[in-house]
Amino acid sequence: MYDFAIAKKRNELYKNIREFFDDKGYLEVDTPSLSDNLIPENSIENFSTMFSNEFLLSKEFYLIPSPEVFMKKLFVQEDCPSIYQISKCFRNSEQLGKIHNPEFSMLEYYTKGFDEKDSIDLTEELFKKINLIGCSSSLEKRFERITMREAFKRFANLDLEKLQDYRELRKVAEKLSLIDEKTKESWQDTFNRIFLTLIETSLPKDHPIVLMDYPRQIECLAKDEGNYKRRWELYVEGVEIANCYWEETNPNKIKSYYEKERALIYNQRASNERVIPDFDDKFYLNFGEKYPESSGVAIGLDRLLMIECRKLSLEGVILFPFSDMIC
Amino acid sequence: MIKAGQIDKGTALLIKGQPFICADREFVNPGKGSAFVRLKLKSPSTGQVLQVTMKSQDNAEEIVVDEIDFQYMYNDGEDFYMMNVETFDQISVPMKSFEDYQYIMKEGDTYRCMVYDEKVLDIQIPSKVVFLVAESEEAIKGDTVQGATKYVTTETGLKVKVPIFIKQGEKIRVNTETKEYLERVNS
Repeated sequence: MYDFAIAKKRNELYKNIREFFDDKGYLEVDTPSLSDNLIPENSIENFSTMFSNEFLLSKEFYLIPSPEVFMKKLFVQEDCPSIYQISKCFRNSEQLGKIHNPEFSMLEYYTKGFDEKDSIDLTEELFKKINLIGCSSSLEKRFERITMREAFKRFANLDLEKLQDYRELRKVAEKLSLIDEKTKESWQDTFNRIFLTLIETSLPKDHPIVLMDYPRQIECLAKDEGNYKRRWELYVEGVEIANCYWEETNPNKIKSYYEKERALIYNQRASNERVIPDFDDKFYLNFGEKYPESSGVAIGLDRLLMIECRKLSLEGVILFPFSDMIC
Repeated sequence: MIKAGQIDKGTALLIKGQPFICADREFVNPGKGSAFVRLKLKSPSTGQVLQVTMKSQDNAEEIVVDEIDFQYMYNDGEDFYMMNVETFDQISVPMKSFEDYQYIMKEGDTYRCMVYDEKVLDIQIPSKVVFLVAESEEAIKGDTVQGATKYVTTETGLKVKVPIFIKQGEKIRVNTETKEYLERVNS
């Protein structure tokens, strides 16, 4: 059974999104779904495919997990305005669930001159515009804003500042029986154990909440500030809907990020048969003094639609969900 | 050993030596990081509910649990003695693990039990059971708005607060979780 009523709601959603950004003077861009190189992210598994032609060299291409790799390059050109895109993204994964489909729809918008805090206000405004008639009303409410540090204090009575050292973080996780002594893992993984068990499950569901200032140990291309990253994630009804950075523009930091992530990826994936994409080692050269300050937001549109339409899983809003195809 | 990512509803696990059954499972991918799975685990014997978040690659110890019908024979104050209705094998179950069950199990009745490693993890008692009133005390003056009540003792020794009109020899239906009187049963 195909739910055309939901398909119509998706239509409406996209129309409202376009109207919102077009009215604000953003340019809707259309960048490829296939790329010969990706931004390294060790937690994202990739789909690869082969370009082959009898007169040309074969080359491996990758389905984009996010249009970031292209959209960021557009800003190198001075006459590029603030931009947005609704595109399909692809993340290879072994775990399908209510909120994951390996192919999914994403809205990404990059605003020139914004930091991540400006993006919160913009996103709040966007949600008011796109709130579909007759749908869930929690999206219309004002976003609550708290830092990750405040969230740890409020929901787990822990001080993140004191857990910067892995040994301290580890002690807490072991005390809470979240990990046994023998398991070896990264600061990020142990942090996530605590976060997913104690904090994420306690977040309010009746209004959207923005978690700001992620720990700097979780590497990403957002600017640093002390022990934290200028990054936020938006939770609506307990589901992570959006991710935003005040984009890192320091070329050395970007170069160093690439080197670290690439090493992690090779380490993790070389021994089993997982895809190791090519990375553009000169990507960092796009950045520097001339590169505009900006903030980028990525929103999972299927999840947004799922919440708007009060569905319990992505299968309710995706025509031809992946889970139907792999059974 | 199985990977946490393979655990499904109904999978039985051993956590710190204690058996648990998975009541619910949800996959979680934090924005950046390894894949995790959120599990709701229930201990059949204690009723304890555990919420665990594990990395999908974490190892978990899976156990096989059998559902077997046992007839309750008697108890000696320390153990319940029960008989497998198919094999006629006898098993003793420490009364300590099932506190107060001597008041709700009836000798001769059959109960479905969860068994692991030849140990009974859980004895399934129906939520509503009919008992015989073995002894009835004098009525006590109660709140006249609610109606006077008194205590009776069932054939299993369970003390239940009942309306005063309930007499010895009559049958009553009781909620076995709350031990509350539900209704008189006409035989």
